[in-house]
This record gives sequence, structure tokens and C-alpha cells, in this order.
Amino acid sequence: MAPNPGLKHLSNALATPDQLSNSSSSIDGVPSDLETSIRCAGVQLTQTAGILLHLSQDIIAQAVVIFTRFWLGADGGSLRIYSAKDVSAAALYLTAKLSFQPTSPRSVLNVYTLLLSPGASPLWFVNPRGAPKEPPSPDTYVLSEGGYQSARLVLLRIESVILRTLGFDTHVALPHTIALTYLQTLGATRPAVARRVVEHLNGALLSPQLLYVTHQPNALAVAAIYLAAREEGVKLVDGEWWEVFDVDREELGFLVVGMKSTEGFMRAEAERWKNKTIPMVVDEVEAELERRRMMEEGE
Amino acid sequence: MSAKSRWADDDPETEAIVAQQKREKEEKRRAKAEKQRQLEEKEKKKKNNDENTQAAINGESGPPKKRLRLSNDPDAPPTTAEVDQQDRKKQSSLLRFPVREWGPCRHVDNFERLNHIEEGSYGWVSRAKDINTGEVVALKKLKIENSPDGFPVTGLREIQTLLEARHSNVVYLREVVMGNKMDDVFLVMDFLEHDLKTLLDEMREPFLPSEIKTLLLQVVGGLEFLHAQWIMHRDLKTSNLLMNNRGEIKIADFGMARYYGDPPPKLTQLVVTLWYRSPELLLGADKYGTEVDMWSIGCIFGELLTKEPLLQGKNEVDQVSQIFALTGPPNSQSWPGFRSLPNAKSLRFPPSAPAPSSSGSLPLLPRSRFPYLTNAGLGLLSSLLALNPAARPSAQQCLAHPYFREDPRPKPREMFPTFPSKAGMEKRRRHHTPEAPRRGQEAPELDFAGVFGGAPGGDTGEVGAGFTLRLG
Repeated sequence: MAPNPGLKHLSNALATPDQLSNSSSSIDGVPSDLETSIRCAGVQLTQTAGILLHLSQDIIAQAVVIFTRFWLGADGGSLRIYSAKDVSAAALYLTAKLSFQPTSPRSVLNVYTLLLSPGASPLWFVNPRGAPKEPPSPDTYVLSEGGYQSARLVLLRIESVILRTLGFDTHVALPHTIALTYLQTLGATRPAVARRVVEHLNGALLSPQLLYVTHQPNALAVAAIYLAAREEGVKLVDGEWWEVFDVDREELGFLVVGMKSTEGFMRAEAERWKNKTIPMVVDEVEAELERRRMMEEGE
Repeated sequence: MSAKSRWADDDPETEAIVAQQKREKEEKRRAKAEKQRQLEEKEKKKKNNDENTQAAINGESGPPKKRLRLSNDPDAPPTTAEVDQQDRKKQSSLLRFPVREWGPCRHVDNFERLNHIEEGSYGWVSRAKDINTGEVVALKKLKIENSPDGFPVTGLREIQTLLEARHSNVVYLREVVMGNKMDDVFLVMDFLEHDLKTLLDEMREPFLPSEIKTLLLQVVGGLEFLHAQWIMHRDLKTSNLLMNNRGEIKIADFGMARYYGDPPPKLTQLVVTLWYRSPELLLGADKYGTEVDMWSIGCIFGELLTKEPLLQGKNEVDQVSQIFALTGPPNSQSWPGFRSLPNAKSLRFPPSAPAPSSSGSLPLLPRSRFPYLTNAGLGLLSSLLALNPAARPSAQQCLAHPYFREDPRPKPREMFPTFPSKAGMEKRRRHHTPEAPRRGQEAPELDFAGVFGGAPGGDTGEVGAGFTLRLG
């Protein structure tokens, strides 16, 4: 069957093999494990900020996909030039601007100031001691007017950088609604299954295999349904039902493995960076690279 | 104490019904599966037959071998049947998505500027040549006045909707390129020789009825596609319709376009150039839909017929009075609910407005304005220019209208006359078309008291729509 141009709004631009094997950061000498950790922390930062901004999950997920695309390929952004936190904030701001729920630069920057405050942040990779038990002192997370003005300029500049890096293609189709339609088609309407499907789809945003930029949303939806039905003990129709949704067995298998491994990956990340912070700005990345160099020379 | 939830139904009758429903569902499912199986068998048989005939044609016998095309031999292009066959052999009945990638913007220096075309409300357009391929394109520079919110959302929407709207009747956005400064952003689009507005100005006679049908079918066809993709154009007018010398017409300038949803989000009423703006927008509706585009189509239809813009209001108040002069004033039958629109409160109707006809059919526009139009044509125009947005046909309904099937039939595109291109070499004359409203303006508080003459408020000093005086 020839590609159907009318399906554009259900599909995404995908990363080329070249973009997946060469990132701008790796060319600049950032080890790939560090890049993966930072990217994954950036996704969590985006997700948390989106929740604090009361944005709906589809906007947050789109922002995460834009954030993920930005770092890919030799023409993408490098972690030694752009701070992950700035790209995260700009991706979220840009996506919200195009949605039905735009938000202001001030709100975005307030939230990011809180989330990146070493004393007040609830994020484990920014504040390893964990969210403070007592309300922290406001001056640890309040953005001053002067600080706001300079942060706003950075936000808007990075927005332009993202747009140019992606060739102004901001279209992101998500699997969530597709999955719900498929569930209805399959007659699997138990809320527990639907919830698990959405959990898998949101979890896959963190996947180190970058599932959202390597697979079309229909395939992600099918894999999440397959997993959720398994886990909830719901029997779906006999036969290779995934083919009805244009996913072949091989792709489904890969995606299922990828989605299932995300949890283990996240645990390993938390273990590896225990009591340490993940560098979210260029200076911290440089410091981490320097630290690793010293370790190597010391041995 | 009963621990049973009060929601749990222990009623045997309900249980019986549930069981019955389950059985029915099961049966349906089985029937479906059976049907699917039969279909598959049929398909298989057909495939076998096909393969056999194919084999017979190729003089082969036995089971057909998988043939791999190893070279792209241009002398032996595979026939479509062959391609079909190969696809099916790979058992890929799976749908394939269009393959797309992303990459960084190129620099505008890849294009050589040829001549300036025009300045619209959202940017400067010039004709340019791609240095690498020699292709002539239209280059549109986006206006980015140091906006406090970063990259203007209108520009983003224009790019996003144009990238999505790949249709033969929508102008093709090839890529977005950038200049040296952060704010220099250019859209690279296919170049078309004419815009409909200039063409109509230069023509001595209006288009023939058959030509009007071809043009209108294309525009509405493009619009149907946009609406199906959840895109509203919100600035349809003849100067935004581009035409080439092969009789093709394309919708351009998506500076006002945006996605809409269901339920519709709250939207700005400051859209659509005044002369093409629908009455609900003029009356201040902040919830509206694709009907605003259909009204513009009605205005464009009228303009094609007479060569002159149909409703040339001097300002919002004058525009409303011109509309009512053409269609007659609204009443609660012809447009239920219009009274609750923000700006409708100041409307004062002539006391002896003609009693509404109780029949549900739409009132026709005055025939005297369009003497050469057939009844079907007048019916279509009247429905497009219905005051009540709900009474306007959708783009899809419009395409199915009998007007397009009666004689004279739409003229084939290849038979279209060609015209000398103004945009091709010469600088374009500026026209007196009002511009699309600017984003960020305050929505004006309008006083429509003067629409029907008499009461003050209309700052035109004119005598309103006229018909009230005749009655008086």
C-alpha cells in the first residue's frame, strides 16, 4: 500500500539511523552514558514542570518529544553548548504556546527556578536529599525580577534555537488517544487496562531507546496495549490482532521489550547517581567531564 | 451490617439482561470472525488467481517465484500491477505511514532574490531562485517584531498548518530557511504566477460560468481538506488565492490559520479581512467554527461572478449594514440566538421589518444582483451567505451541490485561458483591499445602532441599508 498522505496528523517524523548513531554531544566528547542520563533527567524535569504548570499530559508529552529530538544527530544540539534545563523549559513553553493552553514565560521560569533549586527541588537528581519536609525558605526558589529578565531572554533565544534545529517542524502525534480508540475497538474497556496503557505510554517517554522518535504512534499504542493486557490478565481477541493496527510482530516484540525495560533502567539510573546530582547546565557538564578525566588519570 | 456496595446489582433481572447482552456480543464477535475468515479466503483465492494469470502472461508455470528488482532499470519500469503483486507477496497488507525526517534550517543565501511581489500583513513576499536547482520559488519573510512572547504564535501556526496541509489546492511550503539574525525566518513556497484578486482586476470580462465552477471546486476542495485536518483558514479572500497558468488555484497565506477542536476553544474574533468577515464574527462571537470560512467562500463566489468584491464595508458597522442590505435583517427564526452575541445588543431593528416567512427554507438573495446565475447557483450562494452559521453548508456539502453538476459543466483545467503574470517580473500594484486584522488588537466595542439608519452610532454618515426608509 502506498503511504497515505492523509495520515500525516497520525504520524511523526522519525530519526534517521545517522541521527541515532551520531549526536552532537558525542562529537563534542560527551560520553554516551552521560548523555543518556542527562537526557533522561531532562525528560523528568519537563514532565514535573508540566504538571506544576497544570498543562495537560498531551502537551507535556509533545514537549518531551521535541526535547528528545533536539539532541539527536550531528546537526542537533550539544550538551556542551546548550543547557538541558533551558531546552526543557523552551520546549515546554513552545509546545504550550501552540496548544489550547498557552502559558507565560514568567510561569515557566518560576517553575523551573523551583525545580532546579538545590534546596527546594523535589527532584532526586537535583536535590539528592529528597523533597524538603518543611516548607523551604522562599529565597531559595524565588526568581527575582532581574533574574527573570535575563532568564526570559535565554528562554526565548533557546526557543528559536529549537525551531531552527528542527526545521520548524513542531508536529508531534501522540499514541495516547490512538491507544484508547484501539482499546475500544478490541472491546477491552476495563479502566485498569486503560490506565496501565497510559502509564506505559508515559513511561516510554523516558526510554533510553528513544521509542517516541523511532516508532510511529500506532505501534507504541499497540505495544502498550499488549503489555497492559498481559499485566492485567485481560484476554484480547485471538489471532494477530496487532496487524489490524498495522504493526508487525517484530516491531511489537521490540517495543514490548523496550517498554518493559524502562523501569529497570530508571532504577539503575537512580542507583548510579545516588547522592549525586545530574548536570543540567553546561558548566555542570564540563565539571562532570573534568571529574571523569581526573578519575581516569588517577587510575 | 451489610458490607455490600449499594452499586453492586444483585437483581436477577439485571443479571439476566447482562448475560443476554454478553451472549449477543459473543455471537456478534463470532460472526465477525467468520466473516473475516471468509474474506481472507476469498482474498487468498483471488491472489492465487492473479498470480496464475500473471504467471501465464509471463509464460511461467508452477508457483511464481519471488522476483527481486535489483536495478533501477529505467527502461523497464514495473507496471502498477507488478508493483501491487510484489507488495502483496511481501504480505505487507500493513499500512505505511509517510516517511518524514527533520533537519536544521538551511540559510536564505541558498536563494537568489529576483523581484519583490507584495507586502501582506504578515510579511514580505519576493520571487526567488534556488541557486542549487534553479527552481523559481516564492520567499516570504515572516514579520517578527520584537514580540514579548518569543517567536510569534501566528508564524508558528502558519508553518505548522502549511506543513500539515499537503493538498493540490493548498500552496506548497517547501521548507523554512533562516537568515543571519535570529529573527530572520523565511518560508520557501512554490511560486504561482497570479493571485485571483489581481487577475480579476486586470480582466475585462468576468470568468465564464464553467470557469467559475472549476475555480470554486478547487478552492472548496482545498478547504474541505483543511477542515478535515482540523485547520481553519480564517483569512480567505481573492488576494490569498493563487493561480498558475495551468488553471490550478491554491489557497495561500496561513497567517491567520489555526487548529480548532471539538468543543471549540475560545478564539479571537479579530480574524478575516473585513469584506470577507462573517456576521457572527462582526457581532463579536468568540465561539465560532469553520462556518466563517464558508462565509468567505460565499463572498469569493460573488466576487467571481461580478468581478467586484461583494460587500465592501468601510468599517465594521458599515459592513454589517451592507450584509443586512443584501440578505435582509436577521430574525429569531432565520438565526436563532443571534441576539445573545456581544455586539447584537446595540442593533436596533426597523419597527416594521418584514414578517419572516414561516417556511424553513432559506431565503434567496435578490436575483437582481446576480442576473446571470442559475437557480442552483443562486441557491448555493444564498446558503453560503446565510446569516445563521449553522445554515451554511460545510465544504463537503458544498462540493456535492447540484450547481456543479448542471450545465455548463466545470471547464477542464487544461482548457483554462492563460494570463500575463504581474508577479512574474513587475512590481505589484497595491490594491485597496483592507488588511486582515492584527493580532493583539483590542476587539473593538462596536455600536451597531446605526446599522439600519436613523439612530446615531454609525460614523459613516450614510443612510444605513436603505430599506427601512422605503418602509417608512
